[in-house]
Amino acid sequence: MTVKPKVAIYWLGGCGGCDEAIVDLNEAILHVANAIEIVLWPVAMDFKYSSIEKMNDGEITLSIIHGNVRNSEHTEMAHLLRKKSQLVLSFGACANYGGTPGLANFRSKSDIFNWVYRDSPTVVNPKGVFPQTISEVNGKTLTLPDFYEHVYALNQVIDVDYYLPGCPPPPDLIVNAVSAVLSGKLPPKGTTLSPHMAMCDACERNKTKPFKLEIKEVKRIHEVEMDSETCFLAKGVICMGPATRSGCGNTCVSTNTPCRGCFGPVSHTCDSGAKFLSAIASLLQAENDDQVESVVDTVVDPAGYFYRFTQAASILHKFDENKNRRCP
Amino acid sequence: MNEYSPKILCFKCNFGWGYLDDKTETREVVKNMVPVTCSGKVDSTHILTALKEGADGVLVLGCNQGECHFQDGNYQTGKKILLIKKVLTSFGIEPERVRMVFSIDPEGNKVPLEIEEMRNEISALGPINIGKCAMTATPPPP
Repeated sequence: MTVKPKVAIYWLGGCGGCDEAIVDLNEAILHVANAIEIVLWPVAMDFKYSSIEKMNDGEITLSIIHGNVRNSEHTEMAHLLRKKSQLVLSFGACANYGGTPGLANFRSKSDIFNWVYRDSPTVVNPKGVFPQTISEVNGKTLTLPDFYEHVYALNQVIDVDYYLPGCPPPPDLIVNAVSAVLSGKLPPKGTTLSPHMAMCDACERNKTKPFKLEIKEVKRIHEVEMDSETCFLAKGVICMGPATRSGCGNTCVSTNTPCRGCFGPVSHTCDSGAKFLSAIASLLQAENDDQVESVVDTVVDPAGYFYRFTQAASILHKFDENKNRRCP
Repeated sequence: MNEYSPKILCFKCNFGWGYLDDKTETREVVKNMVPVTCSGKVDSTHILTALKEGADGVLVLGCNQGECHFQDGNYQTGKKILLIKKVLTSFGIEPERVRMVFSIDPEGNKVPLEIEEMRNEISALGPINIGKCAMTATPPPP
């Protein structure tokens, strides 16, 4: 009997949408499940962490890890899976770049705790109880993971072999990635397993882009009447397409929603937010010099918009020890 | 006691600033100067990388509005700078740390003066603190 490759699927700080994406493989998941042995998948099956700890180092062929690293439990599991796995696949926008939860880096831990446990209008907390890592209850000690000051992308905490972007990654790319591992036809370490072009290159709406794009006032999507063919930028709606990697299947733009950048930067760029900043700046046009500032001001919350999925992996949040690591 | 002197990185458009006289003295006074063919060449990633790698401020010297040798490079970077200031504010960094000057100075005499003026302003802000308030960019835990 041949030994099936062991695969672990684990979530860190994420919403579980990536697990949904794996389930969305539909019948294809049955073929995958026949070819592999799943040793850990908390969302779907009952496994104990202790059974992973007992495994030999490198016994797991592939660990698919999604979600960012926000607390000490995430770090512990990320290190454990790295130790026991031959390959680690950073799965989804949160693991790759911090994802939407990475926007929390614009606030401090105390800001977040004060809002969630004290100041939010729906919170009733007269005693001011805040979560503690250690608390004594009836003579017993209870512990909680330590909530960090910062949201980290997975490759800022452990070594990652491959990256699969998206929020969540589309089924075709998941099948390609898992098949590549099972067949042993693997690209060089550090590769992002999706097309290398920018989103605009794969967008049908690109055909309607005018020769010279000019935005005199940035509009929100609800302020314009969009049709199914016109380029969003031509209508003044911010679309992250120029600075975002393609491969998502155009699910957003085909449903009249501009690209929000979940696939992260294209090849050889590390900071899609900064790159998009340069792109959109060149599209903004003022009637005269005095109006430049007011046109730029029509971009509401630029940091939040440009770094919606990539804040934790932005240039300003890079760590020195990661200098040698490739950009995802 | 050593007085704090902010590190200023200066991008200088070669067409507008100092093309007649590339003074050795200027190069001695101005330690971190990057001559560029056009201020339009300065990308937001350059500015952010400079701040991340230890510059306390970034100064971009471009030609007067409407006088760019390459049509409108200075105008394009001017808009980038305005947007970067807003982004930096969200990251907890003072927007004054990035500045663009539109002028012309063939002799290059004004370059050290502009840098000195910016240095004085940044001195009041103190060293750049990327870890300030929201930006607790401490290294990942072991």
